[in-house]
Amino acid sequence: MVKVKVFATLIKLTGRKILEVPAGSVEELLEKLYSTYPGFEEELERGFMILINGRNIEHLQGLQTPLREEDIVSIFPPAGGG
Amino acid sequence: MYGNWGKFLRVNLSTGEVKVEEYDEEFARKWLGSRGLAIYLLLKEMDPMVDPLSPENKLVITPGPLSGTSAPTGGRYNVVTKSPATGFITMANSGGYFGAELKFAGYDAIVVEGKAEKPVYIYIKDENVEIRDASHLWGKLVSETEEAIRKEIGSKKLRIALIGPAGENLVKFAAVMNDGHRAAGRGGVGAVMGSKNLKAIAVEGSKTVSIADKQKFMLTIREKINKLRNDPVAGGGLPNYGTAILVNIINENGLYPTRNFQTGVFEHAYEQSGEAMAAKYLIRNQPCYACPIGCGRVNKLPTIGVTEGPEYESTWALGANLGINDLASIIEANHRCDELGLDTISTGGTLGTAMELYEKGLITDEELGEAPPFRWGNTEVLHYYIDKLARREGFGDKLAEGGYRLAESYGHPEYSMSVKKLELPAYDPRGAEGHGLGYATNNRGGCHIKNYMISPEILGYPYKMDPHDVSDDKVKMLIIFQDLSALIDAAGLCLFTTFGLGADDYRDMLNAALGWDYSTEDYLKIGERIWNAERIFNLKAGLDPAKDDTLPKRFLEEPMPEGPNKGYVVRLKEMLPRYYALRGWTEDGKVPKEKAKELGIEEFI
Repeated sequence: MVKVKVFATLIKLTGRKILEVPAGSVEELLEKLYSTYPGFEEELERGFMILINGRNIEHLQGLQTPLREEDIVSIFPPAGGG
Repeated sequence: MYGNWGKFLRVNLSTGEVKVEEYDEEFARKWLGSRGLAIYLLLKEMDPMVDPLSPENKLVITPGPLSGTSAPTGGRYNVVTKSPATGFITMANSGGYFGAELKFAGYDAIVVEGKAEKPVYIYIKDENVEIRDASHLWGKLVSETEEAIRKEIGSKKLRIALIGPAGENLVKFAAVMNDGHRAAGRGGVGAVMGSKNLKAIAVEGSKTVSIADKQKFMLTIREKINKLRNDPVAGGGLPNYGTAILVNIINENGLYPTRNFQTGVFEHAYEQSGEAMAAKYLIRNQPCYACPIGCGRVNKLPTIGVTEGPEYESTWALGANLGINDLASIIEANHRCDELGLDTISTGGTLGTAMELYEKGLITDEELGEAPPFRWGNTEVLHYYIDKLARREGFGDKLAEGGYRLAESYGHPEYSMSVKKLELPAYDPRGAEGHGLGYATNNRGGCHIKNYMISPEILGYPYKMDPHDVSDDKVKMLIIFQDLSALIDAAGLCLFTTFGLGADDYRDMLNAALGWDYSTEDYLKIGERIWNAERIFNLKAGLDPAKDDTLPKRFLEEPMPEGPNKGYVVRLKEMLPRYYALRGWTEDGKVPKEKAKELGIEEFI
């Protein structure tokens, strides 16, 4: 099981801040989340930030990045500030 | 002239003389306005070596050509002066409605000179400018002062920029406040205003800013507003959760400075996030003038009632930076800072330094007596010392000098997390090294907003860059961010528009409003000119690049202890020489004559 932390509008869609999902890659994880939570996919349509243990998947292997049991995945819809 | 009026007010408080001065289109084409106009005037008229709190320092309060128009976020203004915190230039920027109102009165700037004999305020109603007695307002809080002036003048249209007790007491990080909770915060501009015995500037105007091609402008503006509304950040994340949506993002990325930057992960981050604020206290958004984003928060607490803020930076400064997790205490402290007229970032930064000095045994219980101990997480520190430092009472007098001078007085300046003596904002540069280079080279010292490399390094705007890449591409991106930010400041717009707009969009709006046919490169050249002119001011004010273009030792020598950035320091030494070279500066960080000539500013070399 991968520990998944969701933020912002995603909390409203899942009803929780932390989820546990069995998944071997980021792509598989997203597919499971999309099919479990209506609206999740739409929320990430215009971009997202996905971190594995704090490292952005853009600097890992993107959606193909493999996931291990102990990984913590953080998922954000597009956001900014300053 | 379109956009700008080509006119500014010069008010000499020593003599009481008020003059309107003019400049021409050619000048505007070179400096655009606001931050550009201000640095030109300061370089031309003032010795950069002046004491910042002396009558010889000048205070330039200035909206830009798009301020007061319907361009999205066109309500910004800058307060530009020599900073008493850094001894270098500062250009504090604020939103709200004051900047637009100053344009409606027919002015591109107010240049305040000298020092009044007794407390005064300036009242401007179009051509009518009065210097009025403010003895009865001295010592009053920001909301009390606004209310008193409104009552005195009896106009609902009035917009007021003012100082609180902190500015009067020359606190090195006092802000100029406007519209209640909006702050031109950084660099102690409120102390400069206080040193002139100037409590407030109250403005009302009846003019409409002239636009060169009204139809083209309206179409352009409509297109840009749509871009912002459709952008997932400017039209989604920011209005929904405010700037504090960043709390979790920056924390999860491992660069949320905690306990005076001792680490980059705060265990209680969620409790003070934008999400938590929206769920617990938010009652509505508060947009500034002509803003389609509306990131401002209006919160309600049982203790203080309705208030505005805090922003992301304030939430962090008065929260994680002090090991404090109680959001209600943070909101109350933010409210108090606004009422007293304090920059929240430097207030939190200074208190964080005090806490580390206490932890290290340098500030002792004996010295503090009955006052609360500077223990991490102690909310009493917020409730007690913010008032004390604004009034320079007891230990507050030491705090009022800022974190650097405080730490230095204990023989340990390394515990001040500041650059050029300006306290750093809410990003540990060990988790975004390009942002670290930005801190080291920022003309006003430890500031994030004039070179927001968090955008590419963390948020992925305009595209994602590895936060630990220190290549030339990173350095070049920083330079673009610095020049573009200078341009947006000079235009009178909000930097948050960069989440939905690119450099070409600013060109479109400016060309339509001003009637010019400038290219994007021409506009970026103005930004570069402003950046270089400010650098020249700093060099003339005594900036020593070898000593001053740096970061606190912690970021250069102490690897991040935990989280995704564990083991990283900032490789500043690798980046800085390339930054100088790519700027076209000398190896020792000076602006050479050839570069100044290329930018048309050789008269200042």
